[in-house]
Formats: sequence, C-alpha cells, structure tokens
Amino acid sequence: MARSLRVRVDHQRCVGNAMCEALAPAVFRLNANRQSEAINPAGDTEEKILEAAENCPVSAILVEDAQTGARLFP
Amino acid sequence: MVTRPDDMFTADVIADPYPYYGRLREEDPVHWNELYDLWVITRHDDVVWMTRHHELFSNAVFRNDPRPAYPAIDESDLGLYEYVRNYQADQFIQHDRPEHLEMRKIVHTYFTPRAMETWRPFVQKAVGELLDAAEANGHMDVMRDLATPLPVLVIAQMMGVPAVDRPHVRKLAEKLLYIGRGEHDRMKPLTEGMQGMIDYVSPLVDERLVNPGDDFISVLATGEKKGVFTRHQVLVNTSLLLLAGHETTINLLCNGTLAFMRHPEQWALFKGDPEGLAQRATEECLRYDAPVKSIQRIAAQDVDMRGKVLRKDDRIRWFISAANRDPNAFADPERFDITRDPNPHVAFGSGVHHCLGATLARVEGQEVFKALAERFPSLHVQTEALEYQPSITFRSLKSLPVAWS
Repeated sequence: MARSLRVRVDHQRCVGNAMCEALAPAVFRLNANRQSEAINPAGDTEEKILEAAENCPVSAILVEDAQTGARLFP
Repeated sequence: MVTRPDDMFTADVIADPYPYYGRLREEDPVHWNELYDLWVITRHDDVVWMTRHHELFSNAVFRNDPRPAYPAIDESDLGLYEYVRNYQADQFIQHDRPEHLEMRKIVHTYFTPRAMETWRPFVQKAVGELLDAAEANGHMDVMRDLATPLPVLVIAQMMGVPAVDRPHVRKLAEKLLYIGRGEHDRMKPLTEGMQGMIDYVSPLVDERLVNPGDDFISVLATGEKKGVFTRHQVLVNTSLLLLAGHETTINLLCNGTLAFMRHPEQWALFKGDPEGLAQRATEECLRYDAPVKSIQRIAAQDVDMRGKVLRKDDRIRWFISAANRDPNAFADPERFDITRDPNPHVAFGSGVHHCLGATLARVEGQEVFKALAERFPSLHVQTEALEYQPSITFRSLKSLPVAWS
C-alpha cells in the first residue's frame, strides 16, 4: 500500500497559477481567493502529487511523508 | 479629481509614472481614460482580483480588440498592423482557457523553479564574462554592455541557437522590442523582426521535429507533434520567448541597478552580504520599479468594479507600477527596502497567466546584483539625465551609464 502524504500550500507564496489543480484535480482545488488548497492528499498517486508540486511556479507546495514527517518536496 | 491632461504618454509621466498612477489609485482606482478609450486599474487588491479571475478578462487582446493601435501609427502602416495582430494573436499568452491551459502545459514544465535553478551556473558565467569585458574600462552602459546581452545569451542557449547566429538573433530581438514603444513609425522595424524570426526559426523547427533535443524549440516542436500548436504558433512562441525574456529582464537589471545607486544606504547594506540578501533585494527591485508597468486585457463580459461597469469588449489596463506602491498592501511603499518581507508585489502578475519566466528573471537579477556588488563596490551612475522609452507597457531606460574606480 502506498504511504500516506501530508500536503500543504503556502498561501504567502501561492499566486493561483492553478497548474497543480490542472495536474491533480482530486488533490488541489482553488478556494474563493483563487489560491490552491490541498483538499485530499490521498486523491492521486504520490508521483502525480510530486509532479504538481514541482510544477508550482513559486514552489508553494510542501509534501511530506505523513508517518515519518520526511520532506519529499521541495 | 484628476485635472491634468489625461495622457499617459506625456514626457513627465514617462519619466516618472509613480505620481500620476499613484494619484489615480488614491482618487479614482477604476478610471476611464477618454483619450485612449480604456480602463486604468491601479489598486493592488483590484489587480490581484482581476489576475485571478481570468474568465472575466480575456487575454486574447489582439484577436478580440478591433480598435486601432495606440498610440496612433502611420496610416500607410495599417497593413503592417494587421500582420502584427495576426502574429501576436498566435502567442500562447494571447489565449484564454481551455486552449491556454493545453498550450501552457507544453511550455510550463521547461520553466519550473528546479529546472531554472540548473541555469544559474550558466548565468553566473555569462555575467562574469560580460563584466570581465567591461572591467578595464572603468565604466559601462549597464543597458548596452550587461542588461541587453545577458538575456539574449541565455535565451539563445535555451533555443539551441549556434553561437555564430547570436548577433543575428540579437538584432531581431531589438526589432521585436518595438512592440512596446510609442513611435508612429514603429510597425516597420517590428514586422521586420517578426518576419525575421519566422525565417530564422522555421528550419530549426524542421530539424528539431526529426532530432529533438532538450532545448525550448524542441519543446514547442513536441507541441506541434501533439497537435496543440500549429507551425505558425511554434514560430511565434519562439519569438515570444525572445521578446518576453528580453525587454523585461533588461528592465529588471537596469531599474534595479539604478534603485541601488539612488539609495546608497541600501547599496551599502547589500554589499555587506550580497549572497544572503540577493533574493529579497531582487524582489524589492521588482516591486519598487517594476520592469512591466501595465498589462492589457479585454473584458469578456460586463463586470462591476467599485461602482463602475466595465462593458464587455472594453479595453482594460492594470498598472503593476501603481499596485506595487499601494499603501494598503505595503508599509512605507515609496521606500526602497531590500529587506522587505513579505513582499507580495505583482511584477509577474498572478493567476493562470503568472509570468512563465519569473524564476529565470529572478536568477538573472540575483546573479547580476551580486556580481556588481562583489566586483564593483564603488559603482555609481555617471549622469542624472536619464531617459525612458515612451512605452505604456515597459519601464525601460534608454541607457544607464555607470562607473567605478
């Protein structure tokens, strides 16, 4: 079974570019301010979530192993 | 109310846009400019809101705006303007969703922060070589000797252009810069640059379709293979890289250097720890005297803003220069403070059209300011008589002569 992840979006940084939502729509959704929220860290594969994080133009997405707390991105 | 002639191209507004747009922001933040038939938006919160509501404000400006060019162009050049419209309309940034998303996905991956970080050594080396060439003279024009060649070197490398062709690409780049100018006869050099790019890049695309590499033209060629881009769009978007990554970076480097020179205490602070301060200092340069003054959209539907109605198809320009000095968003906004944090400036816009090259621009800014501080600590501007290009879009110095001892 895949490990569970903790995914957070830093709203000081997020500019609402929405590439994360385009790449992993079950995980990320824009809120009323048009900034991204991680609504379901189990909504897609780890690979896809890391791809979304990597494609954030302002590196606002933080991904960690939920059990160990190990930083997976950035 | 605003009483003076409402002309955004007068010599004093071009020389120093901040008082004019600052007054609009305080007195009439959603302002109708009669002379140019457009809305002028100046508050930070309004600009952020608009950039994040792309569905209300179309980016297909050249396709959707039937009004004539402004400032006016020679009547004999109207045919050339049609060429420019058709050319510009094929840029991926001149599209709305859903097409924009598919196009952006193709080019977006090339420009991730991690990918751009791998360009830092190349940028450092290029900056070092340009400064080596200038050092013995004891003076240089930051514009001509550093800020103009650096981004072309970087983009030419990204395009996979052979070194021998770089002077040709640089000449084309300089013609493309006329897109943001105000001269009535600007269409001729501009269209020469556009056609020159098509002629130059077309055989490169043919080659990359057969032998793809890790360069940006190969990325666009992949988009053609996938059916996302037409050939014309591949060619136009290669030009876009050259245009969007050129003038803007020039302005960041020149305007930032000038801001340091005009604030000796900030320059002294920076010289104390260039490595540690480069990131925040570059953000402050982007805020304080932003490379791009304003961005245009076309209203996609009627929109209410602050008690006014922007009608469908109205022209709109939001002013980054005004938003970046909004006292509601920044403490002491007229102060150049290289330690400012947080610094939510909108120099790169925001939302789905947030500048694709933002990270690259940041890397180039950080490396140039660091290198200047480390190598030329006595840097100073040689003249106070500085002039700016008569552009509504770009905040562009004509030259920036500096010296060191």
